[in-house]
Amino acid sequence: MIFNSLTFLVFFALVLAMHNAPFFSWHQKKINLLVASYLFYAAWNPPFVILLWVSTVVDWWAAQWMVRAKHQRTRKIWMITSVVVNIGMLGYFKYGEFLLENFVTLAASVGIAYQPPKWDIILPVGISFYTFATLSYTLDVYLRRAKPAQHFLDYALFVTFFPHLVAGPIMRPTELVPQFASKRRATAHQLYFGLSLMILGLFQKVVLADGFLSPVVEKVYDAHEGVPMALDAWVATLAFSGQIFCDFAGYSTTAIGVAMCLGFAMPDNFRFPYAAVGFSDFWRRWHITLSSWLRDYLYIPLGGNRHGPVRTYTALMGTMLLGGLWHGAAWTFVVWGGLHGTYLAVERWLRARFAGWTPGPLAFVALGLMTYVLVNITWVFFRAKTFGGASTMLQSMAGLAEKPVPMIALLPMIYAMLIISAIVGTHWWMRDKTLEIAVERTPAWLVGGLLAIMAVAVLAEQGKGSAFIYFQF
Amino acid sequence: MPSSTSSSDPGSVPKGILQREGALPAGLRLTASDRPGQAQPVPTRDVPAQPWGRILIGVLGALIVSAIGLEVNARERIGLHAGDLDNSEIAWSNEKLRAAGAQAAIVGDSRILFDTDLDRFEALTGVRPIQLAIHGTSALTLLENMADDPNFKGVLIVGLADTMFFQPFDGYGGYVKKWHEFRAPYRIVSNEIDHVLQRRIAFLDSNYRLSVLAHRLDRDFRPGVEGPMDDIWKLQEVGEHRATHLWDRVEYDPAWRARTRWAWKGFKEKFPYTPELIANGHARAKAAVDKIRARGGDVVFIRPPSAPQLRVNEEAQVPKAKGWDFLLRNTHSIGIHADDLPVSAHGWNLPEWSHLSRKCATVFTDAYVRRLTELTPRFRLRPDAPPSLSRVDCT
Repeated sequence: MIFNSLTFLVFFALVLAMHNAPFFSWHQKKINLLVASYLFYAAWNPPFVILLWVSTVVDWWAAQWMVRAKHQRTRKIWMITSVVVNIGMLGYFKYGEFLLENFVTLAASVGIAYQPPKWDIILPVGISFYTFATLSYTLDVYLRRAKPAQHFLDYALFVTFFPHLVAGPIMRPTELVPQFASKRRATAHQLYFGLSLMILGLFQKVVLADGFLSPVVEKVYDAHEGVPMALDAWVATLAFSGQIFCDFAGYSTTAIGVAMCLGFAMPDNFRFPYAAVGFSDFWRRWHITLSSWLRDYLYIPLGGNRHGPVRTYTALMGTMLLGGLWHGAAWTFVVWGGLHGTYLAVERWLRARFAGWTPGPLAFVALGLMTYVLVNITWVFFRAKTFGGASTMLQSMAGLAEKPVPMIALLPMIYAMLIISAIVGTHWWMRDKTLEIAVERTPAWLVGGLLAIMAVAVLAEQGKGSAFIYFQF
Repeated sequence: MPSSTSSSDPGSVPKGILQREGALPAGLRLTASDRPGQAQPVPTRDVPAQPWGRILIGVLGALIVSAIGLEVNARERIGLHAGDLDNSEIAWSNEKLRAAGAQAAIVGDSRILFDTDLDRFEALTGVRPIQLAIHGTSALTLLENMADDPNFKGVLIVGLADTMFFQPFDGYGGYVKKWHEFRAPYRIVSNEIDHVLQRRIAFLDSNYRLSVLAHRLDRDFRPGVEGPMDDIWKLQEVGEHRATHLWDRVEYDPAWRARTRWAWKGFKEKFPYTPELIANGHARAKAAVDKIRARGGDVVFIRPPSAPQLRVNEEAQVPKAKGWDFLLRNTHSIGIHADDLPVSAHGWNLPEWSHLSRKCATVFTDAYVRRLTELTPRFRLRPDAPPSLSRVDCT
């Protein structure tokens, strides 16, 4: 189920009540949470719970046998078993159709007309997220970064814990399993602050992303006819930058709030990314749990920066291309990742070339602005469904479109630009703070007022919206 | 080994929520991006020092006051009513499931959706058809959908506006073809909870969402752009099992009526109704009708009325002879055109030209159902059927 649904409201109230009920032991409460998490997942498509079980059981035993193995070769076999099973499931469900389409195209290019049967497989929600979470368990054990969990229940709960299950933050076992060791119950203030985070997250998702930004984006990116004017193309792309942030950061914030209400801590997944100066800074702020996962389990094993510039740039580009593909089975996502890889490579080269240079305040802001603009260019490939669509958008943004037409009405455009300005402004104001510190330094009446406005806005938006964008990844 | 997942190794277990790592200046904490190539510790989450209890009581108060304000405004100023259920995709798919094995079902666009009074239908025949019509969607798409449903063996009542029937666009056809995929359990439950609330609260109407209202403040300010005001806002009220009728404000508020009429733009927009498109529509319709009849079902066509202001343009795009008349001949079907009903001689009350007023919908239903019972043995007039209605009953 999704956080912005009435079903979740009822579900969460029941889970919270059971978690705080005095008559359950901690062991029983963990079982309650496990069952609730399976229900949470089954609320999309019950049979896909089997995938969760497969992933859980295979990785549990792979780690157990890895520890018991006396030879490195045996350890490696168990690690590879885990990787093959997890990536195999991900590949089949998420990339099967993509691979088949590309095979057909390739075959056609050499004159072979191959007509495969229709691929009619539904993508299990959140499979990319829990695959990466469980993989980090066996990989950490294999790399001797962590011992395996001692109790199967704790491990199974780590995999399925509903706040992070379908759209992250992608948690590592070392972050969550220890939290199941002893009784957890939120204090009154943790519960209240958790609820406040949920209001903030739902406001971002329901009101900003779905209510105000999505219609502007769709008006241009999903237009059936006509080429947008430069103004429309830019506004739609900037609006998408806000939509994707509010959608995903909104989910993460809600998830963190939900976990906090239950007494658990989840890591930050965003750190005000639109105030990034440079692309390495951007990736330290955007989808942190994914970028750090890719760094730890892909970039570093590929050689990282330990084997000379060529290997470093190759590892960097390889990581970002695969990171792009992680987001979706389409070449447009690969190009999105490739662009980010290129940006990172260029930045790395420039940093080496101008090692002693420190930007002044103006240059700092200018670099930040440039980062934001270039990130927006990449969003075009992320949002456009085809390269043709992306090309049209880029031409319009460059003012090169022929016979462009206006597409966005004035008020929706103004709303979108106000929201984007507020998001970017807030990110710059908060770039060296945590949300908690900012809240602590704000007068109580203002905190209460802002929360009330957000809660009322969610109510007036009727709390409903579409599914979170990142579920599809 | 810097940390462990072992729950029996307390020495390596970070304390958790309230503990700061302290590795960064106050106000900033480490994240996984700051710890490359190592096991990540249990995250730290602070709770800012604020009077949270009082703050949340304030928020709750604001929510209660706002909810009351929204409800009063929705009922008193906007004219919304409790019991008006959203016409959701899940609600449609619920009816679709009920249609399996049903005696009768209705498909079509908004005209047959608004213009059929299901209560009247049932009172006359003892049969309550399943309402599967969808606004803005070609009846042809829905007819084909029912033809592909082997469980449906009843009578399919296909209501159509000629232009909509042959239109090259699918409307909600994309959803109709994949409706199973949208029936996630949580959506079904949410729909039920939604309906429980909507039976009691008027402001829970998707047309009354904050963003929808804010966008509709745009009065086509930007030249060359059709703003949100050009879209139809609220037009119907939906009851249990998708029993739908025209929203009463469209009837009693001249300004609202005029605005809706204006949004239709007289149906003057020219779609490419080529002879090929119409021929293709006829071929698809025949194939679908044959499919339903082959398994013992039947199909009848209904053409609800439209006002002369629209009718002239509809006729110009798809003439009755090429559309309706040929459709009946080609599919060997019974059809009831609004023009053929005696009650039509007195004219209909079509407040915004395209749909009947609520009372008139009952009169139209009464007229076409009585006619149906004369034309097909599949529907019989109940012995205790209410007396027939006339144009006078529209007012």
